Amino acid sequence: MINELQQLGKDALAELKDAKTLDQFQNIRTKYLGRKGLLTGILRNIAKVSDDEKPLFGKLCNELKNSLNANIDEALQKHADLKNQQDLFNDKIDVTLPGNAIKCGRIHPVIQVRQEICSIFASYGFSIVEGPEIELDYYNFEALNIPQDHPARDMQDTFYIEDNVVLRTHTSPVQVRIMEKIQPPLRILSPGKVYRRDSDVSHTPMFHQIEGLLVDQGVNFGDLKGILASFLKKIFGESTVLRFRPSFFPFTEPSAEVDIRCVMCGGKGCRVCGQSGWLEILGSGMVDPAVFKNVNYDSEKYSGFAFGLGLERIAMLKYGISDIRLFFENDIRFLKQF
Amino acid sequence: MLVSLKWLKDYVDVQLAADDISHKLTMAGLEVEEIKNIEPQFSHVVVGRILSVRNHPVADRLLLCEVTDGSQTYNVVCGAKNIAAGDIVPLAKVGAVIPGGYTIKSSVIQGEKSDGMLCSESELEIGDDESGIMHLPADLTPGMPLETALDIGDTVLDVNVTPNRSDCLNMIGIAREVAALTGKKMKPPAVKVKESSEDINALTSVNIIDSDLCPRYTARMIKKVKVGPSPVWLKIRLEAAGMRTINNIVDATNFVMLEMGQPLHAFDFRFLEKEKIIVRKSRDQEEFTSLDGKSRILPAETLLICDGIKPVAIGGIMGGLNSEVKEDTETILLESAYFNPPSIRRSARKLGMSTDAAFRFERGIDPEGVVNALNRAAQLIADLSGGTVGKNYIDEYPNKIPVVRDIPLRIDRIRELIGIEITAKEVVKILRDIGMNLKQNGKGAYLVTPPTCRVDISREIDLIEEVIRLYGYDRVPSNMPDVFITEMEDIPRLKLEEKIRKAMIGNGYTEIVNYSFGTPVAADMLCLRENDERRRSVKITNPLGEDLSVMRTTMIYGLLDTAKRNTNNGCFDLKMFEMGRVFLKRAKGELPEERNMIAGLATGKISDDLWNAGKNVDFYHLKGCLENIFFDLKIDHCKYIPENTESFLHPGKSCAIMMNDKRIGFLGEIHPDVMERIDFKNNVYVFEINMDYLPDKYADKKIIYQEISKFPAVMRDAAFVVSVDLEADRMLNVILEENEDLLENVYVFDVYKGKGIPEGTKSLGLRFSYRASSRTLTDSEVSSIHEKLLQKIIEVTGSKIRA
Repeated sequence: MINELQQLGKDALAELKDAKTLDQFQNIRTKYLGRKGLLTGILRNIAKVSDDEKPLFGKLCNELKNSLNANIDEALQKHADLKNQQDLFNDKIDVTLPGNAIKCGRIHPVIQVRQEICSIFASYGFSIVEGPEIELDYYNFEALNIPQDHPARDMQDTFYIEDNVVLRTHTSPVQVRIMEKIQPPLRILSPGKVYRRDSDVSHTPMFHQIEGLLVDQGVNFGDLKGILASFLKKIFGESTVLRFRPSFFPFTEPSAEVDIRCVMCGGKGCRVCGQSGWLEILGSGMVDPAVFKNVNYDSEKYSGFAFGLGLERIAMLKYGISDIRLFFENDIRFLKQF
Repeated sequence: MLVSLKWLKDYVDVQLAADDISHKLTMAGLEVEEIKNIEPQFSHVVVGRILSVRNHPVADRLLLCEVTDGSQTYNVVCGAKNIAAGDIVPLAKVGAVIPGGYTIKSSVIQGEKSDGMLCSESELEIGDDESGIMHLPADLTPGMPLETALDIGDTVLDVNVTPNRSDCLNMIGIAREVAALTGKKMKPPAVKVKESSEDINALTSVNIIDSDLCPRYTARMIKKVKVGPSPVWLKIRLEAAGMRTINNIVDATNFVMLEMGQPLHAFDFRFLEKEKIIVRKSRDQEEFTSLDGKSRILPAETLLICDGIKPVAIGGIMGGLNSEVKEDTETILLESAYFNPPSIRRSARKLGMSTDAAFRFERGIDPEGVVNALNRAAQLIADLSGGTVGKNYIDEYPNKIPVVRDIPLRIDRIRELIGIEITAKEVVKILRDIGMNLKQNGKGAYLVTPPTCRVDISREIDLIEEVIRLYGYDRVPSNMPDVFITEMEDIPRLKLEEKIRKAMIGNGYTEIVNYSFGTPVAADMLCLRENDERRRSVKITNPLGEDLSVMRTTMIYGLLDTAKRNTNNGCFDLKMFEMGRVFLKRAKGELPEERNMIAGLATGKISDDLWNAGKNVDFYHLKGCLENIFFDLKIDHCKYIPENTESFLHPGKSCAIMMNDKRIGFLGEIHPDVMERIDFKNNVYVFEINMDYLPDKYADKKIIYQEISKFPAVMRDAAFVVSVDLEADRMLNVILEENEDLLENVYVFDVYKGKGIPEGTKSLGLRFSYRASSRTLTDSEVSSIHEKLLQKIIEVTGSKIRA
């Protein structure tokens, strides 16, 4: 009897293993554990078991019943899980198809550069200021120590509106307007459009500049070097090599041109850097006492430095653009790349 | 300024390589922009001596020469006639290559063998002379390679001399810098004049009438000159400096200008009527023909050099055709003067004449170098032309040119302003090396007198710059100044701009930047009314072209133009915006008004990728963008009204944008007539808003959180048949004016025109949402309010409920 019982258990498990459908699982349960099931049948025959074996037989029967029930339940659960999974897979999508939200527009590359530079100088405590783009000759030139009939005027070819009204050739007039109104200490940054009468692959009649000015007591040339070096490393990377070399701007003295090691060739010399290995990035210098005098600052008490840079040039170097005119052609295929 | 290194070595004994000199100059503020190597344009050309010359037996034009290179004799057939036995000439031997890539071969010319070629200057590209065979100095040894014999081959530095450094527009100035930078000594040329007994004062006179424009005028006379080509050494020097050679007289004056920086002029004395020079300003409408052959009416205040009758030169700018040195000139009056720099600059600009002389005079020449250069050039002319220099020179100097002396310099000030620990000794050495004179003036203080050629130096700061420039910028330690908090705020509008920019980008618009100037026809193209303020445009007096001659008064035309260009490139689905200024003329004497605008344009599909292809942009799309922006800026009181729009917009599809009864901008489709006029075929929607009208303190608007009701809303829809002219806003206002507490919201969910709706009407579907904050509404409660509202609408607007 016990053997029979054990055989029955084996058969049931084997059948269960082969079962695939829900019906098959139910049938197995009915066949073995149902009211007229095989295990029930054996139990009915308990009378035939000797009294000695009866407790054991009863125990084995119960165990077999429980184990079969558990196995069937487990198989049923597995089956249900699998089916769920299958249903989800049948609902599969192609994740490689493109997204379909409205495509964001792009910010003009020159404006992106402006944003980056402004935020760097904001971290140095500079405030952003503005001034008119159509400017008096006085602010654009005279107050910046560029008198009428001075050869320094050749450095910037000017658009005129009237005899004494020009399209500003740089953002420097803003510093004069601000200094007229505000006493030091001062840290200002003036971004904006400027205009020069020039047009070729590397010049457009309008472009963008940022001019910065710091005035306080005891500001020196070393401070100028420190801030500009820190700034250029933030823009072009920590490993940027730079050099300061003497130059001339009427409104600063001493004046410095700041070059970085050519980002294209690494200093070996190429077309972009004109074989020199260096790229002119910005003009700077200690504010000339003549400018301070024009705004009634005491140059014995205060000193300061100013710097200016062209945003298109930075953008050209950053993005490898060789024709500045592209910035103002506004070809959407160009703009969408940034 | 082109600097020949060979020439430079005449004045300073520098042994450094070109790269090293360039680096030193660049780091001292004289940026070397290019290093050019000059190499002979020929090879295997040697010095030859002609042994004999005879006529070619057959061809009249040809000569047969025997030429030796010292070891061998060659038969050469020659086409030029200017040769004789004994002449030293360039001989291109068989195998030689001459400019143009020609290789000399052994040949037979008209029956005579020719084993080489005698060359002219132009054939060797040594000079311009092509009139005959070049004659070489008699002392050259035959057989020497020509490049060695003539010392051809040089390195030329192209130095970018900044406008302040007029002292470096000449070789001696550059040599002074190089000497200071390399620790070498300068060797200026010794100037000595061999004078004849004939005194210039007996032959001519100089009278300066306008001494403010010409403070100093000096002159010398050179007689019995023979005008001819310059010697090769001079030609080579001038060539290296980028200057054309003309003749020995003019070349001598140019040489001294390049050497010393003093422009000079040589007159043919026989053309100076009444044998005198008068320096005066031009008279009204005076006409003059300069050396370049151009005749001009001279502007007022032009300084003229005249003889007793007529002008003979424009002072400091260019000589006159009527007194130029000619082949048969015998007597030279040589001018060396100082002209007022601003006046030269004004005249040169007015005349449109930028000459080497004007370039130097307007930057300021050495007022004390005038006579030295005069003497140097006079002697050089005499040496080159076989002439004799007359006794004495004229020096009319009515107006003393101020020279700066004794500029106070404090060593401490240098340290303070630069941030270095420099010793007084170092400072003194640096300044003395560039020719400054220093006197001690108390402890740590000096009085400094710069050389007179340094017209850029007059203040302490100028001296400090000199010190630090030569000390080396790279030796100044960098320092990061402490950040202090300024009380200044960024301009509030900029924050606003950034918010708008982000909103536009998010709506799919790409930022463009157009020029601020454009075509004057824009106003007409946009059909702006005659009294429209945007016709008050600001004009540029010297534009790059007519189409870039007027400052824009609206950004719409630029956007349209950009959209059209992109469409021509095959990009039809465009969403673009621009932020920038427009400019409006104000009363005379006032600067124009500058307004900060944002403008946008959309055309084609909302989304430009095929995957998402579908709806085209329309009025409501663009309006939606604006609503997003205003929401972001916390501006909730904008109104869109169909009145008072723009002449260039579709009258039925446009509106003005109002804020607090102020018109801040417009929105709409471009008028089909405008589109036709600019030949642009799509439907284009635009808006423009004056950002200056947007509130500065937008962020201050308080947002107070509204508690979200826990109770459900009850929705009721109703469709009304109304006149097509009835605006949705009016319907909604009727409802909102009832101030019904339980009405949470009402909005349009459908607009329909066409089948099933009578002509002249439209169906407007409204959704009403009712909710109470403290309880669930009952159906009957909602119904009674809803019915009341519907009745009100019908009553006020005369609409019908759509069945």
